[in-house]
Amino acid sequence: MSTSPMTEPTNAASPQQSGAIAAASSVGAPLLICLPSATAETVETMRERIASALQGHNLFLATPGGASAHAANGVTVVDYPVASRGDAAWALTSPDYLVAAQLAIEYDAAATLVLGNEAASLSVAGLQALAEAVLTGKADLAVPRYRTGPHDALVSSALLYPLTNALFGTPAHLPLPLDAAFSARMAKRLSTVARKPSNAAQPEPLIWPVAEACISSFLVKEIDAGERTLPQPADLDLNTLLAEIVGSLFGDIEAKATFWQRARAPMPAKPNVEPARTTSEAEEFEDVRAMVDSFRNAYTNLQEIWSLVLPPQSLLGLKRISRAPAEEFAMPADLWARTVYDFVLAYHLRTINRGHLLGALTPLYLAWVASHLRQCAGDAATAAFHVEETAAAFVAEKPYIVSRWRWPDRFNP
Amino acid sequence: MGQQIESALRQSMHRVLVVLVSFLPGVLVFLLAVILLTAFGLLLAAIVKRILVAARFDERLASRETTGSPASISDWAPSHSPTLLIVRVILWACILLGVAIGISAIDASYSANSQLEQFLLPYLTHVLGAILLIFFGTLMARFLARSVLIGAVNAQLQYARFLSLGIKWLVLVLTAAMALDHLQIGGSIIEMAFGILFGGIVLTLALAVGLGSRDLVSRSIEKTIDKPAPTREPEPFPAAGETPRPKLRHF
Repeated sequence: MSTSPMTEPTNAASPQQSGAIAAASSVGAPLLICLPSATAETVETMRERIASALQGHNLFLATPGGASAHAANGVTVVDYPVASRGDAAWALTSPDYLVAAQLAIEYDAAATLVLGNEAASLSVAGLQALAEAVLTGKADLAVPRYRTGPHDALVSSALLYPLTNALFGTPAHLPLPLDAAFSARMAKRLSTVARKPSNAAQPEPLIWPVAEACISSFLVKEIDAGERTLPQPADLDLNTLLAEIVGSLFGDIEAKATFWQRARAPMPAKPNVEPARTTSEAEEFEDVRAMVDSFRNAYTNLQEIWSLVLPPQSLLGLKRISRAPAEEFAMPADLWARTVYDFVLAYHLRTINRGHLLGALTPLYLAWVASHLRQCAGDAATAAFHVEETAAAFVAEKPYIVSRWRWPDRFNP
Repeated sequence: MGQQIESALRQSMHRVLVVLVSFLPGVLVFLLAVILLTAFGLLLAAIVKRILVAARFDERLASRETTGSPASISDWAPSHSPTLLIVRVILWACILLGVAIGISAIDASYSANSQLEQFLLPYLTHVLGAILLIFFGTLMARFLARSVLIGAVNAQLQYARFLSLGIKWLVLVLTAAMALDHLQIGGSIIEMAFGILFGGIVLTLALAVGLGSRDLVSRSIEKTIDKPAPTREPEPFPAAGETPRPKLRHF
């Protein structure tokens, strides 16, 4: 992730903005839409799209370079006071939330939509649903759930969603959302959180809005937003990105330990499996075989490090699956859940260097991906079922992390 | 002749006994100072610990520290307890004070014997320096070995463990050579042995990695020769009726 230069927006509105605010106040509480990644080419397209999707609302569209505030089609374009990150932005980060929250406070917005990179691919219905969830659905935070294939958003499916669901009791399939809608009080909350000094090792600090909403007892809704192009990181180094994102989530979990130890998580509903194969098993199997070989290599070499983090029971489980042939390779959901919880605990206790710890998690994550691909074999419904099964295992194993968190030395099966 | 030998023997024995007699009180004072100061340190540490626990020092400090701050006192403390860190600092400060008092006692008892004094005290500081070198060298070796191991495994290198071991021993050999050099033991032999060992390990690693990655390198060179332009090759268009192979999207 690249670092973007961030300038805090001024509290005093420009003359044009003051005019816009005055106009807004005469109609009603405005709906603010922020496009932090919009470029000059995409602004007009997005404006037309937003105007048609959200008719009847008093719309403010904040885009980088929209300094000359003007109204057209019922949409007032205002300046988003940070330069666009363009294609480099693949997820919403702390500065995005901070600027959006400050603009929301400045314009007294009833609801704010922050749309990430490639937002033009978001459906009109998805846009409407996001806005309505906050404006009429009384939600403080609305996060979209896109229609994804079995090969998409694997980190979210394996780690982010199950952990957030189990620990914070909110079934958000994309806890690191690409787009989000939030209420005025959530904007204030996000503004406060985004101002906190972040980890210096992280070039682009992340915020976990679902967790923030949960600990504030705000209502969170997941909205079915249909299809959307999922922007991918420009420099896709899985090891570095996984360490950054998972490290940020683990840090957030550590900071909110007092909350999630008391919270109860709902068991996720498993969807009905409807086989609909989209790719041949032979092709899929090549990927699985490569990942299984990679896991075996890691099992041979990383045992010394894993044994510092994982209890003997989990190590035995890993040994068992490392010996299984690739055709039968499967990471049991409960083993995966316990393994991740042990890593969360080791992160908290600093059992080993945190960089090493997160690096040692990568082969285990790839083992889960291999297991996922082998089990779903290109079928989206089976993949969704497997993801929910994994999330259910995290919920079922929650007492394990709570016990180990409280008594790390005493409770070690 | 016999009387002269007897006299020389008596005189040397007398000198040794004199040295021992003047040395023993110093040693006793050294031991006494260390024991007393350690006991005092233990007592002081226990009192401070009790006070800090009663004042909920850890909780107060944790509530003041911001979430995810780059460095906090807890990061440096054993078991993340700043109380424990303070207690241990107090204990070790007392022990070190005892050692310093003991050394100065030995120094005082040796005021007459300048040769030993000139040799012993500077050498003690060298020993301390060497111990520190070995300690930090071992830490560094373990850290680098783990970094290389995890990096190599994630890069799917088959010889990850070998590479990690090589790095570990490189750093350990370097540390040992530095410590011996600091202690002025071995002289040029150490330098030569270090050069041979270090060079040997580097050569072994280079050969192992080179031979192990021979196929990888040849494939890479072949690819470069086949494709002189650094443009990205377009993805093959799927044939009619064929489903395009899906790409894994981790994010």
